[in-house]
Amino acid sequence: MSLEIIKWVGYGTIAYFAVMQAYLTLLAVMSGSVLRRNHHTSRFGRVQEMLSSDTSPPVSIIIPAYNEAMGIVDSVRSMSIVGYPRFEMVVINDGSTDDTLDRLIGAFEMERVQIPYRPDLETAPIRGIYRGRGTVDITVIDKQNGGRADALNAGINVARYPYALCTDADVILDAGCLVNAMQRVVEDREHTIAVGGNIRPLNGSKVELGHLVEASVPRRLVPRMQVLEYVRTFLASRPAWARMGALPLISGAFGIWKRSAVLAVGGFTNGHMGEDMDLTMRMHRYHIDNDIPYRMVYEPGAVIWTEVPETIRVLRRQRIRWHRGLMTAVKDFMPMTFNPRYGKLGMVTWAGMFLFEYVAPIVEFAGWFFVPLAWAFGALNTTAMVMLLAIAFGMGLMNSLVALMLDESYGYFNSAADTSRLVTMAMIENFGFRQITVVWRIRALFGGRKVKRWGNMERRGVTNLAGRP
Amino acid sequence: MEANQVAVFAVLIVFAIDAALLASLIILKGIHRQRSLHQRQRRAGYMTLLAHHLTYPESTEPIGRKTAADPAFLDAIIDLRNAVAGTEIDTLAGIIGRYGMIGAQARRLRSRFPLGRRLRAAVALAELGDESSADVLMEFLDDTEPEIRIQCARGLGRMKWTPAIDAIVDRFNVETPWVRSRFTHTLAGFGARATWPLIAYIRVNHRFESAGPAAAIRSLGVIGDTQAGPSLIQILEEATDPEIEIAAIEVLGVVGGPLALQTLIETFESDDWRMRAKAATAIGEIGDPVAVSVLATGLEDNDWWVRRNSAAALARLPGGKWALYDALTSKDPFAQDAAAEALADSGELIAARHRDQTGTATARDLALLAHMTPEHDMAKT
Repeated sequence: MSLEIIKWVGYGTIAYFAVMQAYLTLLAVMSGSVLRRNHHTSRFGRVQEMLSSDTSPPVSIIIPAYNEAMGIVDSVRSMSIVGYPRFEMVVINDGSTDDTLDRLIGAFEMERVQIPYRPDLETAPIRGIYRGRGTVDITVIDKQNGGRADALNAGINVARYPYALCTDADVILDAGCLVNAMQRVVEDREHTIAVGGNIRPLNGSKVELGHLVEASVPRRLVPRMQVLEYVRTFLASRPAWARMGALPLISGAFGIWKRSAVLAVGGFTNGHMGEDMDLTMRMHRYHIDNDIPYRMVYEPGAVIWTEVPETIRVLRRQRIRWHRGLMTAVKDFMPMTFNPRYGKLGMVTWAGMFLFEYVAPIVEFAGWFFVPLAWAFGALNTTAMVMLLAIAFGMGLMNSLVALMLDESYGYFNSAADTSRLVTMAMIENFGFRQITVVWRIRALFGGRKVKRWGNMERRGVTNLAGRP
Repeated sequence: MEANQVAVFAVLIVFAIDAALLASLIILKGIHRQRSLHQRQRRAGYMTLLAHHLTYPESTEPIGRKTAADPAFLDAIIDLRNAVAGTEIDTLAGIIGRYGMIGAQARRLRSRFPLGRRLRAAVALAELGDESSADVLMEFLDDTEPEIRIQCARGLGRMKWTPAIDAIVDRFNVETPWVRSRFTHTLAGFGARATWPLIAYIRVNHRFESAGPAAAIRSLGVIGDTQAGPSLIQILEEATDPEIEIAAIEVLGVVGGPLALQTLIETFESDDWRMRAKAATAIGEIGDPVAVSVLATGLEDNDWWVRRNSAAALARLPGGKWALYDALTSKDPFAQDAAAEALADSGELIAARHRDQTGTATARDLALLAHMTPEHDMAKT
């Protein structure tokens, strides 16, 4: 009897992965059709028209910063020349212990001002507000440390414009990033409450003076694996989710939010490890529960570049933090899972999140024990087991290859060496990397709930990446 | 068939698809590289050829049908079309006409080609801006594909094809917000020629529609024709839809002139804070010092936006700064904040600091400096 159970758990585990890969491949194919259309429509005329249009809605760029002295000035300078007709920058110094604030004050001719501060969202106490008197329309909020979500809420409070781009201090915005994203707002200004962007790893690329000069795939395996992951996530899943009107996540590194909609749901949740996913889901819930028509969209042409962990140690910390954020969100929004009231969000994307993100490490971890055990006891047919594993592997590879083909339309990686590195990565990631991330996610599952207000990430600053492998 | 055979068959299919995808990826990469390289080279060659024709319009150097049909040649023509002026445009138009380039693009637009190729044809026609394509562009103003409609309107706008104004305006009610916003931009390109068709459209529709007339009103603002002022005043007085009222207030600031002042002052007393805030800005844009006392009351408004906009408007009006300085000693701390911020934004704070350092500061300077000290209580609201 127990052998029978082991056998079916073994088969079940393998079948689970085949189904998961089939789901991801379906998403990738659907994303392909979305991107194809998007590619045609976005490359003709739109950007220039938006740039020269007086009717483009203004945007507040909100940049929370904690101990970012090394790169904050270059980051702000780089963002300040992003092509867009009208925007302001709001930097929040979240109680940095280095000289982030002093560097900003020095670089942008800032002086302390007495603008009335409306605490629409509750935040840690504000110590001062500074306004740049130079050429850059910049406001800096100096506040006591309260975490990323708290800093973003302070930025939302001060933002003057109806749309707020919440981003990070260490990202590089691609030239047409903001205008590409905002064209999705102009498509339907009344109902668009959020726009997500396409995040890409910066490691290995050539950066000069805060601008990307040439993109390339890093030689080191850890960041290279993440390049493949990001391409898969942002080109082979999100377009399909967005097409269904069921985007479960607008990434924290780049999200344009309608300010009034953020205020309506009470802003970012302080102390949440996945504050971006939490806000996205709360906004879905609020609008669906109150029967308010809305749309959250994803714009693959809004490309931003961010530094990803270079070492296993930092990656491990990041992934544990991410998975804990996901776990909290899955628990918080459990009533929405498989709930037809929430349409495709409840039945497809959030259900997918639960089944293939939350549960996956548990099933995979169990599989490591049950499959060999069942095989050792002769309960599993060797050929069938090998074949099912091969199917799971083959479909995983298929998903990655489709994502790489979709990436071709953006043409960031021009050399054959870059493509061959990514293809190789797609083949070998199942042997080692996948398993280690499962261990981290299991660790997150059983680890503590200690909330770190800012995730630690060893950075070199956006100006110091040139020539790196 | 046994289960094992099914599994083997499935594995073979999956790996066959993987192999096909990998091969496609390699081929795609190769094609992209080759195409972009060759296209750049060909385009550079065509630019040289066209430059020769522009310099020597009587040149007999042949271009050839094959060359004229090359997309890289079309790109070169478009680049030059946007860079040259005067008789050179006529020379280019001659080349375009001689080789039937408009007809070729029109055929593509009419064909059942995939969206990308049809769209490219629409963009080409819009960029070439040749009047012989006006009929085709008019025909496709109601294409099922929004992006093609946008490009057709853009092309008609580029060639200032006046009959297209009514056709574009008529589509305001049926278009999506994105297309409407692009049409607004196109209409602005027609300049004052679009004023009266837009006004006629707004007058007929503003009681029944909201988004279309509001977009049309904003087009008038971008055009900036003061002839629209009296009509907009009337529309503002009649309108009941807030979106139309807000658009009319905004635009009256640009085109209304002194005639609009009284209506805007009345709007400034509206119960709706959005109207008051917009009216404050519009009054400031008109720039008549008569409005100083009215705007000064806005500094004590309950709403932050109204206070902010009133202060900013006062900073622009002749004599308005004195009202702001007076507000620094107001009993209302919110009025003080709004006034101080507007004074700082208009450069008064820097000037006051300078005078303070050189020992020539006035009582008003000191009041402003006192308000801006960090110790001052900030979070009042």
